[in-house]
Amino acid sequence: MKIGVVSCSGEDCLGGTISRLATRKMLDEIYPEETVTICLPLFLAGGVEERGFAQNFPTISVDGCDKYCAKRATEKYSGKVSDAVMVADIIGKEAAESGPLSTKNLTAEHREMVDKVAMEIKKKFEAVLKSSSAGKKLNSGCGCGCGCGC
Amino acid sequence: MSKKIMVIPCSGMGKVLGLVAREAALKVATELCPGEAQTVCLAYIVTGDQEAREKIEGADCLPIDGCPKLCAAKNAEMAGGIIKREFRAVDIFKEHKGAKPGDATALTEEGWRMVDELADRVKDAVKELVREG
Repeated sequence: MKIGVVSCSGEDCLGGTISRLATRKMLDEIYPEETVTICLPLFLAGGVEERGFAQNFPTISVDGCDKYCAKRATEKYSGKVSDAVMVADIIGKEAAESGPLSTKNLTAEHREMVDKVAMEIKKKFEAVLKSSSAGKKLNSGCGCGCGCGC
Repeated sequence: MSKKIMVIPCSGMGKVLGLVAREAALKVATELCPGEAQTVCLAYIVTGDQEAREKIEGADCLPIDGCPKLCAAKNAEMAGGIIKREFRAVDIFKEHKGAKPGDATALTEEGWRMVDELADRVKDAVKELVREG
């Protein structure tokens, strides 16, 4: 079972950097085997395969600011997201919308923000994983999909 | 020049190429040419919002892509940006065969040197565009 995590990676504000790094933490450390991602701009620049991403995987969007670009673009071009994480809700709107940050200049405070956001993604990830696994179980061995086990 | 030059990186999530492109764009916009260039969120352009289009429509753009899929260039062009020159992190990588730049999460010293080289090339293009007016 794989779950998609799609980050905005916003280049205009700190929230984008935090969003990117928290998503990378899911891919590198927290659920490396279960997490997949896609470059958001590929929904437009890519082909049918890329646009099928959210149909092929339950997807969680991660946005840096309240423009919700990752969520909206995923739903516009690919499919409905299973859940959404808003970085500004976790680290505060003012911080999230402050200037862009190079990973070269990450401080301990920034790393703490990344960890907090990654934990929120993890929480939602596990909920999606649970419900998706339950759905799978419900339908397993049952052609009619009613869960009766026939 | 009515608008600042838009330096738009792909910020690709899956490969170190995307991070190099992203860091080079940030360096140009915040350190090398803060008065002449700015970044814009590619994800915002992808949404197709009117406000995002207005931001980029008719503006001189220098997309920095990580890989040959050229997401930044394609999306900027679709949004009405004028592509003046395209940069690709992969071209820098080809000039440094065998280098270990890091990964999509963090760069090594070699990776940062590639960022510096790419950023210098983009800076030169920004200065050239400014001279042309």
